[in-house]
Amino acid sequence: MIAALVSITANLAADIAAILLNPRLRTGKTMAEIDITLAPAEQKRPRPLALWRQMPLSFRIGSVILAIHLFVAVTGPFWARYGYSQMGAGPPLSGMSLAHPFGIDQLSRDVFSRVVHGSHIVILLALSGTLLGLVLGSIIGLLSGYVGGWVDEAVQRVLEALISIPFLVLALIAIAAAGTDYSGNPVLIVLVVALVYAPRIARMARAAAIDIATRDYVTVARLRGESAWSVMLRELLPNATGVLLVEFALRAGYAPVLIGSLGFLGFGLRPPTPEWGLMISENRSLLIIAPSTVLGPGLALASLVVGLNLFTEGLARVLGRTVKLGNQ
Amino acid sequence: MVENRQVLVKVTDLTVSYRQGSGWHQVVDGVDFEIARGEVFGLVGESGCGKSTVALQLLGYRHAAMRTDRGSVDLEGVGILKLGRLALNALRGNTVSYVPQNPTTALSPGMRAGEQIGECLAAHHYGDAAACLARTTELFGLVGLPEAPDFARRFPHQLSGGQQQRVCIAMALACDPKLVVLDEPTTGLDVTTQEQIVELLVDLRERLAMSMLYVTHDLGLLSQLADRIGVMYAGRMVEVAPAADLFADPKHPYTQGLIGAIPRIDDVTQQPSRPLRGLLQRQSLPKGCPFAPRCDAAQPRCFDEVQDLKPCGAARMAACWRVDEIEPPLALTQGDPSRRPAAVDSLLNIDAVSIAYGHGKRRFQALRNVSLDVRKGETVALVGESGSGKSTLARAIAGLVEPVSGSIRLQGRGLAAKVKARTSEQRRLIQFVFQNPDASLNPRAAVRTALSRPFDFYFPDRASEAGGRVISTLADVRLDQAYARRYPDQLSGGERQRVAIARALIAEPALLLCDEILSALDVSVQASILALLQRLKTERGIAMLFISHDLAVVRMLADRVSVLFRGDVVESGSCAQVFSAPFHPYTHALLEAVPVPRKRRRRGTGRRAETSSSPAGCAYAGRCAWQIGAICETDAPPWRTADGGLAIRCHHSLDELHHRATWPGDFATPT
Repeated sequence: MIAALVSITANLAADIAAILLNPRLRTGKTMAEIDITLAPAEQKRPRPLALWRQMPLSFRIGSVILAIHLFVAVTGPFWARYGYSQMGAGPPLSGMSLAHPFGIDQLSRDVFSRVVHGSHIVILLALSGTLLGLVLGSIIGLLSGYVGGWVDEAVQRVLEALISIPFLVLALIAIAAAGTDYSGNPVLIVLVVALVYAPRIARMARAAAIDIATRDYVTVARLRGESAWSVMLRELLPNATGVLLVEFALRAGYAPVLIGSLGFLGFGLRPPTPEWGLMISENRSLLIIAPSTVLGPGLALASLVVGLNLFTEGLARVLGRTVKLGNQ
Repeated sequence: MVENRQVLVKVTDLTVSYRQGSGWHQVVDGVDFEIARGEVFGLVGESGCGKSTVALQLLGYRHAAMRTDRGSVDLEGVGILKLGRLALNALRGNTVSYVPQNPTTALSPGMRAGEQIGECLAAHHYGDAAACLARTTELFGLVGLPEAPDFARRFPHQLSGGQQQRVCIAMALACDPKLVVLDEPTTGLDVTTQEQIVELLVDLRERLAMSMLYVTHDLGLLSQLADRIGVMYAGRMVEVAPAADLFADPKHPYTQGLIGAIPRIDDVTQQPSRPLRGLLQRQSLPKGCPFAPRCDAAQPRCFDEVQDLKPCGAARMAACWRVDEIEPPLALTQGDPSRRPAAVDSLLNIDAVSIAYGHGKRRFQALRNVSLDVRKGETVALVGESGSGKSTLARAIAGLVEPVSGSIRLQGRGLAAKVKARTSEQRRLIQFVFQNPDASLNPRAAVRTALSRPFDFYFPDRASEAGGRVISTLADVRLDQAYARRYPDQLSGGERQRVAIARALIAEPALLLCDEILSALDVSVQASILALLQRLKTERGIAMLFISHDLAVVRMLADRVSVLFRGDVVESGSCAQVFSAPFHPYTHALLEAVPVPRKRRRRGTGRRAETSSSPAGCAYAGRCAWQIGAICETDAPPWRTADGGLAIRCHHSLDELHHRATWPGDFATPT
């Protein structure tokens, strides 16, 4: 399990490193020792700045947005003007102003500071929950699609059963099963998000695996006698990253909402935790009187989701390694 | 050609660029040529030379990532490149029509064959429904398809590849165009179907007197069909000449290389393929002649001075300033060093293997009682058209398909049917090289990873050698070690196939299963891979089971040949025996179908009829030109054997078969 997590993360990290240190941009200078040996075409290596410009626009915009979010999440608690539960920041429900960009909530707390404080919670819980779901779902889906036969049938029926339960109900059942002691425990929330997403991601992964498993390079690996696990890690996973990344970005956008809904029902994080989904739920009734209290966390969430989507879409395109026209 | 030729199409200084990243990349550079009425003009070159781009310009094709920088295409005084969309719609299909490369994707899968042609007629206001239907029937007759109405009601998937291409051709002919543009129309078809399509085109040209532009990478094919040939290299026209002159006396060094690279089935004494050096690398073209980096006769001046087409001799032009000095390189004669007597040690025995797919009514017998031996270091070729079961046999040997009956033994020990049940050693000794190098390499694994994984897997205790072995194996397939860092999308088709071969070699196999490994490659790349295989064979003594439909290649490489037809072995023997009389009627038909430069086409080999479905008789009955009569349909033919291991399965006696053989026939003597 941990090995798989490490391997998948390492895979992604290696991909990103591969983009940055793109081998196609290195020069293969060595002329052949044997004159028949083909020397690769000379290719010039552009400067890092030029490399950045070659990246798809979506990748560039997405990574800038994500960098800002990450910066806020890490450093926010140190420079936010108010604490997340600090009351008396100003007159309750007063609108946007320079001092309070997202206004003041019912309890006279500064919404902007709460959003800043909540940033790391969202990124930690929502992203790690989705990431765990992605890892589990990918492993189950890819293996099931590659192995096929009755194993695949059995796994698919279980997944279908899980998917058929509405996700909020499934989450509540899981939390209830864990017992009241663990209610509001961040680890439990991560596990619940993973449980809700893993079956859905597994379906996508299985479809990708069935497609990839027909390629000749998978046949070569099978002829070599590689185990299903090894085929999955070496052949299927790297070629499914495009699909899986897009799936990850989409799911990660809904995760804060799911966590917020759980909190609103009293099963998730408890107030005054400044989780964005929870803030949106809390202040929903004030939407007409003080829209900025919902708008603040809403905008923050939206920009994170858009950033994630742009980033992963661009990443999938870079990783796609499509043959360029000039080399046709 | 005709005395006073009327020019139909005149292409002048055509220059086309494609968008690439933020810039534009020129793919066609100042191409000039003209096509006369009733003339077949062949356009030939390696993939990526811009020949398809030129062909599409004759139809005024444009899209957002493409622009025409200069030049004009004049069709009877109309500048096609300046026409608006509506005028182009009226022109396309009506005056100029197009036959695409792949008929499977060119026909709409949800539309009946007849309707597709009717649609084209209706778009050009041919007439009412009844007139369209009558014309459709007429066209089907014209291209040699059944005229029966129920045939026109078939969907594309109910037609064979050859029939699909005939429908495409019928569609192109529907409105009596003045010019038909054919873009590699036979590349995806097997050799007998290809022969029939070429025959159809020759016949149509004579009957309809229309002009054709025939785009292909197969020079041998053009020699059968074209009046004049234009050779393109890196977006430029390097030579234009009448077909006969081009083959007899190629002027441009590139044309010489291209003709030299064609494997010749008619002449084994000549060193068959002289590979063109290197590859077309469009990123690093010199300022002057684009061919200079690969040219044996290049001089410093070539790299700096642009070469334009200049007349050289009657009605021909070449873009090389040294045209008069360069002699075609002398053919290197060699006395078959590769064909040494094979060892007697048997490596692989296949005994009466039968394979069937599906169950019940849909059961399809892919192989029937096939027996085959491969000795150590020997190359055995399996020949046959698509659907003959040759790939199925290779897959059974590899352990991907389970035989219904029969046994396969490797080095005397039985091989389990499933690859999982075999020992690691057995799996290592048999390595598979696939047809399509694009699909056989993991696009996300660098060459180093792709090669070191099998080595680590098979030799876990020699892990420290892996890096060195990768480099030495790359050198074995003549790739520089800098390739280890590359990913498959950074490699050309030929380089990918070399890496795929290297991946098989690094496992130190005893038997290499090569499934059509050359058919996806350009002719010059084919020649260099072929040279590589020949070298591996002599140096390493690796046995090969070489599956191919290309008989010229088989003749150069194989020690022994087995001919398969619909799952039956119909002839087997040593390479020399199979390629000389007596022939099995099917082998004979295959050989006749091979296009050979300087050989004019013989007529009338007849159309491919459906074969009998009776399991008792000869599988080839019904298509056989030498059929005796009912006995072929009802009785299984006997094996007729001769000295030296030749075995032919036919009701005719060997003497009779010998008597009937007309191949190799009258090759024109090379000049």
